[in-house]
Amino acid sequence: MPLIHVDAVSKHFRKGDETITPLDNADLRMNRGEFVSLMGASGTGKSTLLNLIAGIDRPSSGRIVVDGEEITHFSRTRLAAWRARNIGYVFQTHNLIPVLTAYENIELPLLLLPMNRTERRRRVQVALTAVDLLNRANHYPRQLSGGQEQRVGIARAIVTDPTVIVADEPTGDLDAETSAQILSLLQRLNSELGTTLLMATHDADAAEMAGRQLKLDQGRLVELGNPGTVSMHPEAS
Amino acid sequence: MFKFAPYLLKTLWRHRMRTLSTVSGAAVALFVFCFVLSVQQGLERLTKQDDSVLVVFQANKFCPATSHLPQDYDRIITQMPGVRDVLPIQVFTNNCRASLDVVVFYGTLVDKIRNLRDFELTAGSWAEFEGHQDAAIVGQALAQRRGISVGQKFSIGDVTVVVAGIFTSTKRAEEDYVYCHLDFLQRTRGLDLVGTVTQQEVWLEESANPEEIAAAIDAKLKSGQIETDTRTKGAFQASSVADLIHLIDLSGYLGWSCLFLMAVLLGTTTIMTVEDRIGEHAALQTLGFSAFRVFRLVVSETMLLSLIGGGIGTLLATLVLMRSKLSLGAEAATIAIEPTPQMAVYAAVTSIAVGLIAGIVPATYAARADTVSSLRAAR
Repeated sequence: MPLIHVDAVSKHFRKGDETITPLDNADLRMNRGEFVSLMGASGTGKSTLLNLIAGIDRPSSGRIVVDGEEITHFSRTRLAAWRARNIGYVFQTHNLIPVLTAYENIELPLLLLPMNRTERRRRVQVALTAVDLLNRANHYPRQLSGGQEQRVGIARAIVTDPTVIVADEPTGDLDAETSAQILSLLQRLNSELGTTLLMATHDADAAEMAGRQLKLDQGRLVELGNPGTVSMHPEAS
Repeated sequence: MFKFAPYLLKTLWRHRMRTLSTVSGAAVALFVFCFVLSVQQGLERLTKQDDSVLVVFQANKFCPATSHLPQDYDRIITQMPGVRDVLPIQVFTNNCRASLDVVVFYGTLVDKIRNLRDFELTAGSWAEFEGHQDAAIVGQALAQRRGISVGQKFSIGDVTVVVAGIFTSTKRAEEDYVYCHLDFLQRTRGLDLVGTVTQQEVWLEESANPEEIAAAIDAKLKSGQIETDTRTKGAFQASSVADLIHLIDLSGYLGWSCLFLMAVLLGTTTIMTVEDRIGEHAALQTLGFSAFRVFRLVVSETMLLSLIGGGIGTLLATLVLMRSKLSLGAEAATIAIEPTPQMAVYAAVTSIAVGLIAGIVPATYAARADTVSSLRAAR
């Protein structure tokens, strides 16, 4: 049984008089421990699909099952509790809390789980070690480089040991060298820790780091069998 | 929620200027509120005094300067059933009108004061007071306000006394009076009131019915030299400050207006910061914070600001009131404006309540914001 089962999911929303359909009967099966990249031009619905799987948005139709739980009909409160246990979210713009240190940012999702302080400290140390930022634990986001901020964001996503990590353009704001470091880190988390990863990107090179590549085309998911053959149209990137 | 205290405190610290201005506004509002509250409490203490004491005044007279009762009425009243003791008092005041610095002289029988008042001398001696006709004891509040000390001469108009002692009382309003010898005040040049007093203070037996005895006194003295009007001390004081009661009631609206302004200030600054941090709250919700938890975080922030501002305002009001020893007087009755523990508790509870109410709108706005749109807007 797949870990993530997206079944005929559609999403419509209105923009003025126009109805936009970023997802149209999209299907996805994703197994535990997989690293899947999701490609597509800007506005093709990559983030929408990620948000639906992460439970911060609701589909117009279809159903989404994650680790045996159909989240589509969860209440807002239940979804929040479910996200705290099951989802690690890596944002393009890091979205770290500016008033908290790297340590406190990483600890934040753990405060939502039934866990004592000692266990929280242990988990934050492990996460900081995983992203190689132990020496920056007490630094505030403004004292970190873009790459370091994103590593803190990744540490915050993995610290709860979630069922799946969704990463929305995690290298979108970074230079090439830092992007390579971040992608390498994500790949290592997948291969060494068995973390299930779903990453949206419009960068073909980044997509190649994943074990499996998908593309959103006209609201539907298309499997790309041969990594490296996908190229984005210049106007779409 | 205590787990999130560092987040709350650091958020307030990061937005120091906003925090400072909001806290200052809340402090000013609570300062005024405490002032109004202490005046209202002072009035309540004055008018809700012990019913076991009656005041006999000349009928149809309202100012102490115009009430002249025969002093020997005390002997007639003392013989009436239910009466424990009678204290004749000659009143002299520097101002019959409403004032923040009324000085009231009570000329009375010195040997009776020690039994009928709960005074405790903090300076000077009773022997000095009892032994000299022109000696007086001065309430601590008045002494502090006017800078009066023992041994000093103190004059108001033609009345000049030598201060023999400073006293405190459990009834703070008493500390605004000067007690001197009855004979001395009656014989003071310009007054020439020998044989008359302004009022008779009647102390009743525990089982006595105040209304019945008041009526009996007035009935008994109706055929006497001067007709009387007898009331409980609380009712008498209330009629003395009747004009002020309406003003004090009106000042209540000022207090409530301050709280309303404080709520508006807190609500406005919080909604501004919520708008600034729309992406931050969306990120928190993405991490698994429920809408209700975000609501509680914002409300806690508002309540904390309100409590800090309110605490500072209350502390300042307490210090100012303690130091100034203000009293509002009219017709020789004084309302002591002083801080009380009840005032502090009431102010603290009010601050929390205002913070809670002020936080509801911005917290609802933060909690109900759509996560996806907010994340997109914050990019």
